[in-house]
Amino acid sequence: MKISRRHFISASASFAGVMMLGAPSVIGQAKPRVVVIGGGAGGATAAKYIAKDSGGAIAVTLIEPNAKYQTCFHSNLYLGGFRDYPSIVHDYAMLKSKYGIDVVSESATRIDRDKKEVSLSGGKTVAYDRLVVSPGIDLKYDSVPGWSQAAEEVMPHAWKPGAQTLLLKKRLDAVENGGVIVMIAPPNPYRCPPGPYERVSMMAHALKVAGKDRCKIFVIDPKETFSKQGLFQQGWEKYYKGMVEWLGPKVHDGVKSVDPASGTVVTGFETYKNAALVNVIPAQMAGAIARDAMLANASGFCAIDPTNMKSAVDSNIYILGDASIAGDMPKSAFSANSQAKVAALMIRGELAGARTFDARYSNTCWSLIETDDCVKVGGAYEAKDGKITASSTFVSKTDETPDVRKQSQAENMAWYAGISADIFT
Amino acid sequence: MLALLLVTSHVQSVSAGDRELGQYLSSECVTCHQITGKAIEGVPPIVGWPEDQFEAVMKSYKEKERDNPVMQNIAGRLKAEDIAALATYFRELR
Ligand SMILES: Cc1cc2nc3c(=O)[nH]c(=O)nc-3n(C[C@H](O)[C@H](O)[C@H](O)COP(=O)(O)OP(=O)(O)OC[C@H]3O[C@@H](n4cnc5c(N)ncnc54)[C@H](O)[C@@H]3O)c2cc1C
Ligand code: HEC
Repeated sequence: MKISRRHFISASASFAGVMMLGAPSVIGQAKPRVVVIGGGAGGATAAKYIAKDSGGAIAVTLIEPNAKYQTCFHSNLYLGGFRDYPSIVHDYAMLKSKYGIDVVSESATRIDRDKKEVSLSGGKTVAYDRLVVSPGIDLKYDSVPGWSQAAEEVMPHAWKPGAQTLLLKKRLDAVENGGVIVMIAPPNPYRCPPGPYERVSMMAHALKVAGKDRCKIFVIDPKETFSKQGLFQQGWEKYYKGMVEWLGPKVHDGVKSVDPASGTVVTGFETYKNAALVNVIPAQMAGAIARDAMLANASGFCAIDPTNMKSAVDSNIYILGDASIAGDMPKSAFSANSQAKVAALMIRGELAGARTFDARYSNTCWSLIETDDCVKVGGAYEAKDGKITASSTFVSKTDETPDVRKQSQAENMAWYAGISADIFT
Repeated sequence: MLALLLVTSHVQSVSAGDRELGQYLSSECVTCHQITGKAIEGVPPIVGWPEDQFEAVMKSYKEKERDNPVMQNIAGRLKAEDIAALATYFRELR
């Protein structure tokens, strides 16, 4: 007898169906329900993989207020003129039509962990068997004296995407030759460790190609060191000589205040007046919905079980992406996507009897310094010693050939195409 | 149940790799490689390859004979059965 692969799949699907009846959490209920808060790199990936791989056995609801997801990843390339804006915008149409996910265009306003219910901005509540929380970050507006939510219109952060990304680009393009730009870099931990420094590179690139090479970018950093520092500083010296000055805390002695009205930044070392552009990237914490549900600890982020991405305080809840404390993994879209796949598997295991395997995570972050000169850092991770621990890592070298750097940029662009297809199609 | 067991053993005899393991592990790959098999400059297609070739290439990254650090890092932790599972999974994808 010859049995095709399709037969095999449907046989195993009905086998999973039999197993499901025995799973305790689903007794007396038509279908187990998963609710996902946040349609970003973590949440949308989790929703897709749960729906896709359970073949309809699990009902998935994705709660996301925005109709379109505008990626922070590659927003620096937009700033540098290497991408147009529409290319970093995605929608949820395929998640609905192809995987049957119920995409609700509202905000989650409250999680009732005892009742296992999520309240929505429209007034309804949705019940869950398992909840996935991936709301990304909130900004600590009070971490920079003189700055505020209202001031973000004048001194943009562009660390959450959308209008802020467009505003920063507009402001950058309006800087005149000779203008001073000040970036206030964030303290650890924050979303996308190499992000501020890639942004500096892309700003310098845009200024240079516009003939504005008398501009100067000061980076006021609260950190002694930063991601891929040697690579970035080598690149700035090579391509943007005299345009970029990075100042560590020992030199600037802290940001004392900013004045959005006059474009002033006061540090312990110097006062920058009439800056053409001030980019404030403040301290960060997990999105409010996670903190309000007491899923975060004193750090402002959420502790997880490294073997499955479950909240350390609620075994019905999984926390993904920037909101989580993911050990050695950086806060990146790649990481959030990787964590989501682990969570999706474990949730299918719990609710639909799927076979599970040990969690494996990975990440690679590319950063473009100048045309065809891209560097990367990455790692493979596993649960070890009670946290997500790197089992191997790599980083670009300062003496790589131009061919290698160019190849890395091709990888970077292909990765973006890959991850956006992986999340949204 | 009996029929199912027969099906399972039949499939195992024609496919070297563990399909469910392959499906899980493949989710890492499709962050960069297109699941449709589409070629994009920078990241080559990996769908539909003969298993032996696929396994040989993965082993050459694992052993650092091929020198892309991204793939070396990814292949480095894969055991022989993981690579076999991936080879089967990606061959069968179309
Ligand atoms: C400038 C910049 C460059 C970057 N470059 C890269 C890069 O090259 N590579 C990389 O891997 N990463 C990069 N990142 C990091 C990446 O964007 C984040 O790490 C990633 O988006 C995190 O995914 P997430 O799911 O945790 O959060 P997000 O992607 O931010 O998604 C969270 C979603 O939750 C929604 N949400 C929040 N609260 C609620 C609520 N109460 N109810 C419903 N929905 C809610 C939000 O609307 C949002 O859509 C970059 C970031 C920045 C700022
Ligand atoms: C971070 C991005 C990334 C991920 C994740 C990734 N790859 Fe790759 N892969 C690449 C790149 C880049 C190359 C080209 C490397 C080179 O030039 O040798 C490649 C090459 C390959 C090749 C050789 C293709 C050829 O034509 O020579 C195979 C096979 C392969 N990958 C399989 C996998 C498998 C299996 C996984 C998952 C376990 C995976 N890759 C995950 C980026 C990735």
